[in-house]
Amino acid sequence: MATTATGTSSYTADHGHAHVDDRSFLRKYIFSTDHKIIGIQFLLMSLTFLLLGGTLAMVMRWQLGFPGKPLPGGTLLPETYTNNGVVLPEFYNAAVTMHGTFMVFFAIMPLLVGVFGNYLIPLKIGAPDMAFPRINMASFWTAVPAGLLMLAGFFVEGGSAAAGWTSYAPLSARSDLTGVHLGQIFWCLSLIILGLSSIMGSFNYITTVINLRAPGMNWFRLPLSIWALFVTACLVLLAIPVLSGAAILLLFDQTIGTHFFDPVAGGQPLLWQHLFWFFGHPEVYILILPGMGMASDIIANGARKPIFGYSSMVLAIIAIGFLGWGVWGHHMFQSGMNPTLGTTFMISTLLIAVPSAIKTFNWLGTIWQGNITFHVPMLHALAFVSMFVIGGLSGVFMAASPFDIYIHDTYFIVAHLHYVLFGGSLFAIFAAVTYWYPKMFGRMMNPFWGKVHFWLTLVFYNCTFFPMHQLGLHGHMRRIYDPTQYAFLREVQPVNVFISISAFCLFATQFIFAANFIVSWFKGEKAPMNPWLDNGLEWTVASPPPHGNFGATVPTVYRGPYEYSSPHSDQDYLPQNLPMPGAASAHPQPAGD
Amino acid sequence: MAHPEQATTSGRPTHAHPNYILIWVFLAVLTAVELSVAFLPWPKTLIILILLGMAFWKAALVGLYYMHLRFEPNRLRILAIAPLPLFAVLVCAVITEWIW
Amino acid sequence: MAHAAAMHEDVMLPPVQRAAGAGVYTEKLGMWIFLGSEVMFFTALIGTYVILRFAHPSSWKPPGQVLNIPVTAVNTFLLICSSVTMVKAFASAQDGLLQQLKLWLVATCVIGATFVGVQVYEYRHLIEKGFVPSEGLYGSTFYTMTGFHGFHVTLGVICMIFVTQKAFRGKYTQSDHRGVEVIGLYWHFVDLVWIILFTIVYLI
Repeated sequence: MATTATGTSSYTADHGHAHVDDRSFLRKYIFSTDHKIIGIQFLLMSLTFLLLGGTLAMVMRWQLGFPGKPLPGGTLLPETYTNNGVVLPEFYNAAVTMHGTFMVFFAIMPLLVGVFGNYLIPLKIGAPDMAFPRINMASFWTAVPAGLLMLAGFFVEGGSAAAGWTSYAPLSARSDLTGVHLGQIFWCLSLIILGLSSIMGSFNYITTVINLRAPGMNWFRLPLSIWALFVTACLVLLAIPVLSGAAILLLFDQTIGTHFFDPVAGGQPLLWQHLFWFFGHPEVYILILPGMGMASDIIANGARKPIFGYSSMVLAIIAIGFLGWGVWGHHMFQSGMNPTLGTTFMISTLLIAVPSAIKTFNWLGTIWQGNITFHVPMLHALAFVSMFVIGGLSGVFMAASPFDIYIHDTYFIVAHLHYVLFGGSLFAIFAAVTYWYPKMFGRMMNPFWGKVHFWLTLVFYNCTFFPMHQLGLHGHMRRIYDPTQYAFLREVQPVNVFISISAFCLFATQFIFAANFIVSWFKGEKAPMNPWLDNGLEWTVASPPPHGNFGATVPTVYRGPYEYSSPHSDQDYLPQNLPMPGAASAHPQPAGD
Repeated sequence: MAHPEQATTSGRPTHAHPNYILIWVFLAVLTAVELSVAFLPWPKTLIILILLGMAFWKAALVGLYYMHLRFEPNRLRILAIAPLPLFAVLVCAVITEWIW
Repeated sequence: MAHAAAMHEDVMLPPVQRAAGAGVYTEKLGMWIFLGSEVMFFTALIGTYVILRFAHPSSWKPPGQVLNIPVTAVNTFLLICSSVTMVKAFASAQDGLLQQLKLWLVATCVIGATFVGVQVYEYRHLIEKGFVPSEGLYGSTFYTMTGFHGFHVTLGVICMIFVTQKAFRGKYTQSDHRGVEVIGLYWHFVDLVWIILFTIVYLI
């Protein structure tokens, strides 16, 4: 059958024989070119930033719930941050900015793209590694200094960036307006460096999916997680360079006296917004698509049914990737932009709800009359669908520019973005981490504590973010330091208190997940090769897989990944690489598209 | 620029090289024409359109013949031009901010 | 696709033991995809220039008044020549003419370095005249666009030197000269961007 490809192609050179592995500790675990190790490196880095971002949110929620009261532990912070323990406005602005920055760029994006892109793509397509393993290693080791530089902002004079995660110019360019100079410069530099890391990753993923699929792994037999990661990588490839360009221009405004965004010398503040959101909107699809793809894999598995409407799921992913380039102006409805241009963006934004809705109905169709196993990943995946729908619905409201006049830059927007990013992406991440943890570490996470974490998170999460819709409709603005300074907000301050307490409980609950993650690594039940009875190629190799993944045999694929409860199988699943009994199906389909 | 198939020892089809020097002459001539047109006393919009047209013509020559897109599989050609519509989207949408 | 009798995979063809992909070998595909990101990077810079110029045309002077068109026109011609030498190098490798490969690669390095040198000379001259990045939108956009292009050319020259060195060590053959083709694609792209930039920065 299939034989090893001998030759000097970069990816086959060292990976033909999985059993010989005499690399040093440094080469194996630190400067590794193995996509699985790099994926785990990204996992550890991103989870750390997720914790940091969450901590900053606690600072924000303390100030919002209990303005003027000393922050617990606040007296330990430098006096540029707190005054007798009370959070200073400058530090609050920094917390708001860095919470968003850490969460978007250093937590969610690397968790979805850096971790699961790296870990899943070669395994699920039947490749021994990525197309360019050394560039993959460079991608991780470029992200690390970017993260450190962003962190360093807290330790320089003036503190970290404080102009919002969207860093609107000219505020972000003028240190006389923010009081922050170095911190803003670090923000720009850090994102430029992170951009290089992301671009390296993205062209690696795209090349790998196009050229390294195993024989028989046609495009329409790819798991939806891979389709989603592929389209996401295309978005990263084409959107991140625009952010890099914008950040460079901002950096020049901050350092060498240019005035790209400063109206003083003919610059255009709207230019920053157009450039940033031209990147920023594809960015939010980068933050949701991989979650949608992985949730599809997990839901089909949990329901023991093929995914409903696989082709339309693929087309919906592609449509979202495509249409996502034409909606960026909906972030700018109140910016003073040309109103007619605004109308065109309203239309395109309403249109893009359609593919997401198609996906939602397909998820429902998948679980309909399924033989559902409510394992922990399935619980998170189902929460993902429901919470994402809520976030998507508020999005439809916001897409209408007349409505947006009323709720722009209020907590209605904060509610929406957290419903899609936490309710959507983060639940999908919890699902995916729990699902692929056995493959990564060879051990199962504890299911009881997984369920406790899930239910507590679901309850506290909704208590935290749902009331924000109400606050926003009432007129509570974003990024405000002290809402009680306005009489009309004093009357809803109890809602803020309720949200803050829920948020503290939500944050505390995440330590259950963290403990489960850490303890299971050493003490978890040993994982079999295929604990979830899944059809994907990664479940046909050991947990964890050896270096080189499939060893000397290139897998051959005969079918798609969703053959659950198939009449052709005596079990309720049918792996992709299992030849059918009987000669006719024992030969792979011609390797065409 | 015909490219008759010739099998080599490795079985890889090759084609006769395009006439790279001829392309170079085209590029040089186009550059010279651009330099002349830029200073003609014609309406500015017309000059801009002609110059942009010539610039893209030169870029296409480099892409098709030096980067061999003329001879690559269609799938690669589509990949290569895929980012170009995005350039159009960004620039055109934003220009409407100031001229509409 | 390589036929069954081939003992080794032909590395300059698409991978054999894989489903049909883009129809080209992986390194070439990777470079084309990477170039897509570079298109978007220059889109941001060129788009910025277009927008600012539409919004505030009075910041710009007519062509030729500030920038030295004759010198830059010659420099443009030089860069185009370096594309010719590059593609001739690749053609030599395809034909197995390994001595010619080395010579054409050296020529490309020299011309590329000359281009950068002339740009640096031009910058110094302009700065002496008072035309600096902080001198209005004209200066800001000029230096940003041409500066980042020059940065990309410089990186290209450095990589070209590596490739030339490898050629001198005999690492490229008729059956495996992927590195030559891949650096060539990058080099032509850099030339292509300059063709656009020269027109819109200097002549409009």
